[in-house]
Amino acid sequence: MRTPRRAALSRAATCSVGALVLLLSACTAGGGGSNGAQEAPSADQKVTLTVYSNFADRELGILNKVLDGFHTAHPNITINSQGSQDDDKITQSIRGGNPPDVAISFSTDNIGQFCSSGAWQDLKPYIDRDKVDLTQIPQAVQDYTQFKGTRCALPMLADDYGLYYNKDLFAAKGITAPPKTMSELLEDTKKLTEFNADGSIKVAGFIPQFGFYANHPQVWAPQFGAKWLDNNGKSDLATDPAWTEMFNFQKQLVDFYGWDKLQKFTAGLGQEYSPDHAFNKGQVAMMYDGEYRTAFLKSDAPNVNYDTAPSPVADDKSNLYGGGYVTGTIIGIPKGVKNAGAAWELIKYLSFDTNALVQLANGLGNVPTTKAALHSSDLKLPAQFNTFLKVFDNPNLANNPASPNGGAYLKTVEDLGSSWQSGTVKDLHAAFAQADKTIDDAKALGGN
Amino acid sequence: MATLTATAAPTRSAALRKKRHPRDIVGWVAVHAVALAMGIGFALPIVFVVLTAFMSDQQALTSDLWPRSWHPENFLEVFDKAPMLEFFGNSLLYSVLATAGMLLSSIPAAYALARLRFRGSNFIFMLVIAAMMLPPQVVAVPIYSMWANLHLTGTLWPLVVPYFLGDAFSIFLLRQFFVTVPQDYFDAARMDGCNEFQMLYRVLVPMTKPGLAAAGLFTFLYTWNDYFGPLLYVGEKQDSWTLSLALASFRGMHQVQWNLTMAATVLVLVPVIVLFLFAQKSFVKGITFTGVKG
Amino acid sequence: MTATLLGSADAAAASAPSRGRARRRSRHLKWVLLFLAPWAAGMVLFFVYPLLATVYFSFTNYDGLNTADFVGLRNYVFMFTSDPLVKAAAYNTLWLVVILTIGRLLFAMGVAQILTKVRNGSGFLRALCYLPSLAPPVAATLTFVFLFNPGTGPVNTILGWLGINGPLWFNDPNLSKPSLTLLTLWGSGELMIIILAAMLDVPADLYEAAQIDGAGPWMRFRKITLPSIAPVLLFGVVNSIIFALQYFTQAVVAGSVASGSADAVGNSKLIGFPDNSTLTFPVWMYNEGFRSYHMGYASAMAVLLFIVSFAFTAILIRQLRAGKAEAS
Repeated sequence: MRTPRRAALSRAATCSVGALVLLLSACTAGGGGSNGAQEAPSADQKVTLTVYSNFADRELGILNKVLDGFHTAHPNITINSQGSQDDDKITQSIRGGNPPDVAISFSTDNIGQFCSSGAWQDLKPYIDRDKVDLTQIPQAVQDYTQFKGTRCALPMLADDYGLYYNKDLFAAKGITAPPKTMSELLEDTKKLTEFNADGSIKVAGFIPQFGFYANHPQVWAPQFGAKWLDNNGKSDLATDPAWTEMFNFQKQLVDFYGWDKLQKFTAGLGQEYSPDHAFNKGQVAMMYDGEYRTAFLKSDAPNVNYDTAPSPVADDKSNLYGGGYVTGTIIGIPKGVKNAGAAWELIKYLSFDTNALVQLANGLGNVPTTKAALHSSDLKLPAQFNTFLKVFDNPNLANNPASPNGGAYLKTVEDLGSSWQSGTVKDLHAAFAQADKTIDDAKALGGN
Repeated sequence: MATLTATAAPTRSAALRKKRHPRDIVGWVAVHAVALAMGIGFALPIVFVVLTAFMSDQQALTSDLWPRSWHPENFLEVFDKAPMLEFFGNSLLYSVLATAGMLLSSIPAAYALARLRFRGSNFIFMLVIAAMMLPPQVVAVPIYSMWANLHLTGTLWPLVVPYFLGDAFSIFLLRQFFVTVPQDYFDAARMDGCNEFQMLYRVLVPMTKPGLAAAGLFTFLYTWNDYFGPLLYVGEKQDSWTLSLALASFRGMHQVQWNLTMAATVLVLVPVIVLFLFAQKSFVKGITFTGVKG
Repeated sequence: MTATLLGSADAAAASAPSRGRARRRSRHLKWVLLFLAPWAAGMVLFFVYPLLATVYFSFTNYDGLNTADFVGLRNYVFMFTSDPLVKAAAYNTLWLVVILTIGRLLFAMGVAQILTKVRNGSGFLRALCYLPSLAPPVAATLTFVFLFNPGTGPVNTILGWLGINGPLWFNDPNLSKPSLTLLTLWGSGELMIIILAAMLDVPADLYEAAQIDGAGPWMRFRKITLPSIAPVLLFGVVNSIIFALQYFTQAVVAGSVASGSADAVGNSKLIGFPDNSTLTFPVWMYNEGFRSYHMGYASAMAVLLFIVSFAFTAILIRQLRAGKAEAS
């Protein structure tokens, strides 16, 4: 009796060990092995493509209209478009082996992970096969859609940043032109700011608070010519004097209000994308923001009398004027999809078809990403939008570098900015050096 | 054994109540004043939420506390903004299946631990307690990978299946109830030739209905309120979202004012309050059984 | 009424005639196996295996997409020497462990003490105190972020009437955790009921005798109430510590809603808003593992969290063992 039972036991043991190994090692979820380009489906082959994007409500409708155009051109390809899918959800769906055929991400933060982990497929075989001309896209935009030579994404519209200003508030204080340098920005801020009787802020000329609305270090950095990495790819905050200049200037603005007053003021303002945004309500006279704000202003606050200009630059870097920060929506094919060939056709359409881009740009109020679409006469956008088309065409257009751990380094710097503006950080240089170390260490975490 | 409906400490006060000194009256007033303030303190947050839920968009931006005009249509608008009924359905499915699974798998396990004597039963009970105390985040990565490899993320399966394989807290709670049943009943049943399974559902289950109700309610409520599990497993697929998950992103996703957010909050709270009103005795009984004496 | 943890089953079994015991044991072994089978499967799949796998992953570079590569102690080295946020996160969680545990216990004891004295309308009052603890954490957190929102929230409005300039609450890095504490106290009804039940279990004649001996209310509380409810308090302490160690939902939702961000779990740069003050250990772990592709690193954090939480569980288990030894 003993032997069979022992045999059964040991068999059970092997089974469980086997299962354990299976569970541990089966982590290469879904498909994989996409070295070559997959053929587009033939015209009689019916295919359904799932598309994930983070659009919702009105904006999703605009995307879907453009997707309908694709369906008209390729009647055999039906599209199932799902909105409100942020990067977390896209990543989760890829890990879970139920990815969409085409993923549209609002942020370029995760491009490093998308490309290096293989979560998004390398598009090079397709680009080579179809001889796509990438020079139609500005260099900064080419940069933020690839990582270390792996092109796993293409751009679908871009966001670039400029200065918005309230013309009525400017007129009331006798200011005739938008500031072009940081000293002018400071001066105008002082003129435009109004305080209540109790000393609290009533109208802010310009809100400098890092983390609030579009005030992120990466948006500010191009205006000071601050570089993220040195020639060896190491973080460069402590050695590049532009960062120190930028933080000192920011602190000067914060101190003009007083940190406590500023914080109290911003905590009571409307949310970034809600109709009660401070700029809509005349509570702030100037701000940095992306071109998409023109569409929000048009629908939420059509009565605000405003204009736009390139963001001011550091006093000693006037040659940078006219450029600005750029980021954008990126689009790619996740790992493990069934219809990669058809997905590529859709990506080509959304990234390079002039009509599609113009239609999207007009509807979403974003900057089209190819030169042909940028200069198309069909673009119908508010007059204030022209600033952003020009900024996009300017050689000083700058993006933040892709990193293997995504936006982690942006958080490190933004956290430093938060401690800096509240006065917790005393020794800026030491804090920058510490942040450099953190950023470089964290990058090593994902490597092999 | 205290219930919410019973009056407090009758034994203690009986002697004192007969003749009331003036000092007692002062004490009575003081205690009840403090208690009243306490009750208001606990209720006030909900009151403000309900009031704000009835405000207009414009008024919700102000610091008014009382609605100038009442807008019950806010509650309907919540359903326009998000497919709340679908989320409600998902939450219900998660909670009902988990509760059913828990009862099926945990009653026998608790019975074995409470009434059957076997080698290693103490060790198993310690394991149950260790599992009960384990922060769910500790094992999240491997379990998530497991479900991802089975391509079941984005569905409710990863949330529900574990309850069919025994829930540590419920086993613990049920065991606490099961040990209170006098042995005589089991002895009598055994005389009648009942086997262990028959004893389980003929003797134990009918005798410990309040305990089963309490365990069921806790599982239902825990899953209904769960945020981490749905965030991990169904976050990627909006069709499978539960109410808690939807509520957390409601304000951000739909760019709405506080009035609609608070209306959505009320809609999530109402089922819980209704459940409580119908079953408050079971809740309280269950809780006191978790507060164990060493 | 409070049940004893161990002992009853043994006592029940011991009372059965001892000569039948051996026969019964062999007969019911198959029942034991049958009844425990689902639990055992669950234990292996959702406890033992993932614990071992977590330890294994903690020594790897694992992104959840590709096979895990062994990297030795690199994750642990990064955790203990480089990552500034894991320190912030550990501090925040430690803060919550200490303050929430003490706060919950004192608050629940205070409320329970008052509830024992109330004679009129006590049922309704108890229901009122208990109800908030049932509220879904997401809903409760939204409620509090709304109540305490600095601009137009009712709390600051009422403080304004009293001439007090209300603080920023969830938007102030120094007050965000205290604000979360208030939220947690509001929802600590379960502990109140447990303590209330234990207090009502204390025989009334003990108090009467003490009163005759001239003991004041504080003396009666210290000499009678406290020792009587001590075992329940120990359970409350361990329970509260474990609760605080896994503090996630409230922190994530409060940070995200207060920051005004548009994402469900808060924008990755705003996580822990304001100034990482609500970045708890599990929140950072979730962020690293499930958003930043560092599942190996998240596993190393999980191992640390497990060691700490298990230490407290062990205290409880030892207490139970001691209780058992006393009973037999």
